[in-house]
Amino acid sequence: MKLYLVCLMAISFVIFSSCDRDNDSDTTKPVINLIEPEEGATLKIGDEHGIHFELELSDNMILKSYKADIHPNFDGHGHSAPLKSTSSETVDFHFNKSWDVPGQKNVNIHHHEIVIPANATPGNYHLMIYCTDAAGNESYLARNIILSTEGGEEHEH
Amino acid sequence: MEKFVTVICTGYIRIMLISVFAIPVNAQVTDSVKIITLDEVVVSSSYKKTNNLNSAQHIDVVDETFLREYFTGNLTQTLEYIPGVHSMDIGSGFSKPMIRGMGFNRISVTENGIKQEGQQWGADHGLEMDAFGVGRVSIRKGPASLLYGSDAMGGTIEITQIPSPSENRFFGESALLGKSVNGTLGGSLMLGLKKNAWYMKLRFSEQYFSDYRVPTDTVVYLTQRLPIEGGRLKNTAGFERDLSWYSDYRKGPYYTSFAVSNAYQKVGFFTGAHGIPDASRLKNDENSRNIELPYSTVNHLKITSRQQYAWDKFFGYWDIGFQNNLREEWSRFHTHYGTQEPPAYNADKELEFSLNTFSSSVKMKTFRFERWEHTAGWDLQYQQNHIAGYSFLLPEYNRFTTGLLWLSTYRPNQKFSVSGGIRYDYGRLDISAFRDVYLENYLIEQGYDSNMIESYQWRSYSVDRKFGDFSGSLGIVWNPDNIHLVKVNIGRSFRLPGANELASNGVHHGTFRHEQGDASLDSEQGWQLDASYIYEHKGIHLTVTPFGSWFNNYIYLKPTGEWSILPHAGQIYRYTGAKVIFAGAEVEFDIDFFRCFNYRLAGEYVYNLNLDENIPLPFSPPASIRNTLTWKYKYVRAHTEWQNIASQNRVSRNEDVTPGANLWNIGATVNIPVGGIDVEITLSAQNLLDTKYYNHLSFYRKVEIPEPGRNFQLLIIVPFKSKIK
Repeated sequence: MKLYLVCLMAISFVIFSSCDRDNDSDTTKPVINLIEPEEGATLKIGDEHGIHFELELSDNMILKSYKADIHPNFDGHGHSAPLKSTSSETVDFHFNKSWDVPGQKNVNIHHHEIVIPANATPGNYHLMIYCTDAAGNESYLARNIILSTEGGEEHEH
Repeated sequence: MEKFVTVICTGYIRIMLISVFAIPVNAQVTDSVKIITLDEVVVSSSYKKTNNLNSAQHIDVVDETFLREYFTGNLTQTLEYIPGVHSMDIGSGFSKPMIRGMGFNRISVTENGIKQEGQQWGADHGLEMDAFGVGRVSIRKGPASLLYGSDAMGGTIEITQIPSPSENRFFGESALLGKSVNGTLGGSLMLGLKKNAWYMKLRFSEQYFSDYRVPTDTVVYLTQRLPIEGGRLKNTAGFERDLSWYSDYRKGPYYTSFAVSNAYQKVGFFTGAHGIPDASRLKNDENSRNIELPYSTVNHLKITSRQQYAWDKFFGYWDIGFQNNLREEWSRFHTHYGTQEPPAYNADKELEFSLNTFSSSVKMKTFRFERWEHTAGWDLQYQQNHIAGYSFLLPEYNRFTTGLLWLSTYRPNQKFSVSGGIRYDYGRLDISAFRDVYLENYLIEQGYDSNMIESYQWRSYSVDRKFGDFSGSLGIVWNPDNIHLVKVNIGRSFRLPGANELASNGVHHGTFRHEQGDASLDSEQGWQLDASYIYEHKGIHLTVTPFGSWFNNYIYLKPTGEWSILPHAGQIYRYTGAKVIFAGAEVEFDIDFFRCFNYRLAGEYVYNLNLDENIPLPFSPPASIRNTLTWKYKYVRAHTEWQNIASQNRVSRNEDVTPGANLWNIGATVNIPVGGIDVEITLSAQNLLDTKYYNHLSFYRKVEIPEPGRNFQLLIIVPFKSKIK
């Protein structure tokens, strides 16, 4: 009887200890460094060259993809519905696009693919950048940007 | 032990057995009141020990004295003193329990034999129960599906009534609670009457608390650093009001009880952790007691009743219950999709869930006079969930479950017993679809194709699933003498997938993740082997409880690497089953010395691993140790405690590592006899050094909000009683 019990106890301890192997799977998030646009940047509506977008991504293993999301933040207090006048000729600007950057550990991105159409509603917007690595670790950052017809200090490249 | 049995076998006791309710005739079920009656006869056998002799699983019993000395105004936070139990907090007021790393729907809380059914799947609200009214708690760590069906997979917290006094009396209690960290002011009044066959109790409690103090001046939310003004977390104030009635009647072999309770809670959400970060919303409003938007309210109504009758060789009882859990979240109307207009009525009601639960449980048990004892049972439960509000989180559903169980115990001698049981459950879950027309319009406006629109516009799919699951257990109890007690138990348990796990599809308003259900998910199933060793001799007490478990379909939110096209969402997280192991142990040691002193050490460790991904599971509790030194002399009891929480470096994907902490707590209780009344005053202090630390399991952890700072607490209890004829 005693032996039987000791055995059972031993088994449960073996289960307990055998689980304690090293965790070799990747749980480290990629790192996002958004250089342009900066926090609080004013971006010109209707600029055909597109937003000057500069981004550095890095990961301890392998990067997979990144996504840019721009959506309105008109009242500065969260996402309340803007009081829209039906006569308004502008439309809220929404942008949602992803790009794959497979097989790389570090990548510098520079493009002008985000174009703000001439009919976009001016105002406060949020810019969010998401980045994933091959294992599914995700990081993101949020920035406040302003869309304006007066246009910001967009440099030519 | 022999004395104990001898007493049981006398005719006198047998009559007593029949006249009281809930008789511990089987090896698995903890039934309190009956055992207490035995305690009055056999002084040598403690309630805890008796319970543990009758179950092949280890049972921790928390009695009234303990509940008072470590009272926090919040039951879950008090139970944290039991190794293996943790609390998942939302702010300073409300918490959900977790046992051995399993929380939400993976554990069950029962009161008066009926399983409490709220919105257990959600992380941002607490357990709806009056902490002042809890008399006795038994905690079962490990699989208990055999007794309670689905959800009791990781353990149970059973709340039972304190037995009625033996003599006729009028009695009552008033309690006052004050806390400095969040300006809590609470009180409770109880009145009771015991008259012949009748016993009844009425209790009313209220608690108010303000925004709580945190030892920090900034928090980080969505990568933005936000200021905390005035050292208080804005809009975390709350309010609680509870009313309960309990009555029972016993005459000869018949016993009945009836209980009604209503618990209402309202608590503000920290403004900086809801919606988009904005420093302007965190401005000090010079009022720490107001509850502004966003906030949540919960009202839990519960009605339970038991009918019991004892025959010559067996007895039976039937528990029935009805519960309504009404949870609402209020937040200033907001939408991601421009075409949605605020509703005309209750424009700021974001979410509402109204869950009705009907429960029935019938048990037949043989008395424990022979070597064998048997129990048969039949459980039924029916649930309906209704929703409202301008936003969407969980669909409407109907859920029906029923289970049949059989348990037997064989006791060849007084030192050894084997017990085992088997149960089969049938479950059906019928989930309604929900189409978001505003989202659909938005996607059309954005120019997405019809396939894409079809896959995103359904926030919930129509799902109608049937499930059948076996659960069982087999265990031994070996009690060679009064000093040692050894138990080994193996159990199989299960949990039905929830409506969110099967049918959800969209951005979760609290986590900002696109969460997607999988309608093809099977039940979670697991095996657990656990053992316990108890040593009790000459003021030394040692309990060691190791365990290991294996799950073949543990459902968790897996990051898929697929981008969601929804605004404010990164990749899609999909509910996925994985092979998972858990292992760990709790140790409790205490020793009496120098007559007045007691030293207690309680430690715990849980390890888990998702075998499919070779990474830990999210929300794994860190290892921790409590060292408590207690001094007791006449009317005074004082304790000092050093709590060491290890850092949690084993995290799941997209979860942050949480550093450890060292905390000091002290407390003292004085009993002052005033005119025949024993007034009890407890003064305590938590986090004495005002250490800034984080709870890995807190809802606010991801926003880098630390736990409350230093707290002084005063609890005054004034009991009174007078004999009546």
